[in-house]
Amino acid sequence: MSDRLKSIVFAAVLCVVISLLLTAASTGLQRFQEKNVLIDKHKNILKSVGLIEPDRTYPPETIATLYQNSIREVWAEPDGTIIEKPIDGEQNLPIYLYVKDNDIQAYIIPINSRGLWGRIYGYLAVQSDGTTISGFTVYKHSETPGLGGEIEKEWFQKNFVGKKIINLQGEFVSVAVAKGEVDERIPEAQKEHYVDGISGATLTGKYLTVGLHRVLDEYEPVSIRFRKNAVQFNPVPRKSHPEGS
Amino acid sequence: MGLNVTRPFAALRRSKSFKAIRAALWEVNPISKQILGICSALAVTVQLQTALVMSLALTLVVAFSNLIISALRNLIPRNIRIIVEISIIATLVIIADELLKAFLYDISKQLSVFVGLIITNCIVLGRAEGYALSNPPLPSFVDGLANGIGYSSILVGVAFFRELLGSGKLLGFQVVPAVFYQAGYENMGLMLLAPGAFIVIGLFTWLQHTLLEK
Repeated sequence: MSDRLKSIVFAAVLCVVISLLLTAASTGLQRFQEKNVLIDKHKNILKSVGLIEPDRTYPPETIATLYQNSIREVWAEPDGTIIEKPIDGEQNLPIYLYVKDNDIQAYIIPINSRGLWGRIYGYLAVQSDGTTISGFTVYKHSETPGLGGEIEKEWFQKNFVGKKIINLQGEFVSVAVAKGEVDERIPEAQKEHYVDGISGATLTGKYLTVGLHRVLDEYEPVSIRFRKNAVQFNPVPRKSHPEGS
Repeated sequence: MGLNVTRPFAALRRSKSFKAIRAALWEVNPISKQILGICSALAVTVQLQTALVMSLALTLVVAFSNLIISALRNLIPRNIRIIVEISIIATLVIIADELLKAFLYDISKQLSVFVGLIITNCIVLGRAEGYALSNPPLPSFVDGLANGIGYSSILVGVAFFRELLGSGKLLGFQVVPAVFYQAGYENMGLMLLAPGAFIVIGLFTWLQHTLLEK
């Protein structure tokens, strides 16, 4: 066999062997990885409403129990009504409710925004007044570590707490990432609609601002209902020890 | 020449493997002497825990990549050898990354891109080219282990100081007692940033060079 042919054959065999190995690893481990991603998702939802502290680690069972007891996964119809299950043919949006003592404390919106290098995924929690943000978390992104990647850090996320998505006239303005510090750049009247930007990550901030605006606008019908105190969803208390039925 | 079983430790010390490991820890340490693999050494040494996981991942990757490349050394066509080496290294790293995501998810999130960057770590390709291609499998495996251990020793050392001085903790446990903070002691924030890492690594390198010259 000529040298060139030998190289091609070797490369081909190598590729086949490697593909088999990686496919085996990926499919074999998929179960475990998906479970971890789900726990992480639940953890982020709980973090966005302040049910777990950002710096502590919690065992998976604790997360599972907390989530079971406090969070309801529901859907929103286009007019803002909250329903238990999505209706076929209708444009239903997923939404999470933080329920305590049979009362809705906050609603959590899944965020899917454009970022500089990929999508940004997180959760934005709004209090039951439909106006004040109670928390923001980011669980997946592809931004540069140290620059745009700071969006996953505590210091960036905690600035969202207490910001308002409607102005004094009651118009929807969403919340935006400022270029620089809010205290220095933003006029007093606007301060509660902005959070501090990340130096060196102006574009990430810009994309996130647009993404948040788009998503919050989509969920405005829900927010409006909460502002009018017109949410008619009754959280059904979960059975904590389901008997086999 | 058989091993002297009445004095097993002395016999162990004379074995080639032990000498290889000791050399990689000291005389030819990959980070402080060969100045390889610095970027990951900066990023993952903010905490001791991430440094330990990274050390383990790199050591296993370089050991097994050396083993496999050495086993195939007579088969690999010369003209595509670098690509073949990188393919083998990349496969091992991806498998390591998938294992981390499956069983140590939170740590894998903290390590984020740096496990993937092991593929580009000069130590791995350097040992493959410099040793595995011209030596039999078992010594190559030991050489990989040795360099991995040398790298790990620096990583763990740097992480030890950075976590202790930068956040008063070790492995997440508070080590600096509360009374120190009340007396006015403050964590050295610089240790948590890249310049702090540069400084510690520089000091380690200087110390090692000085001691080696004596």
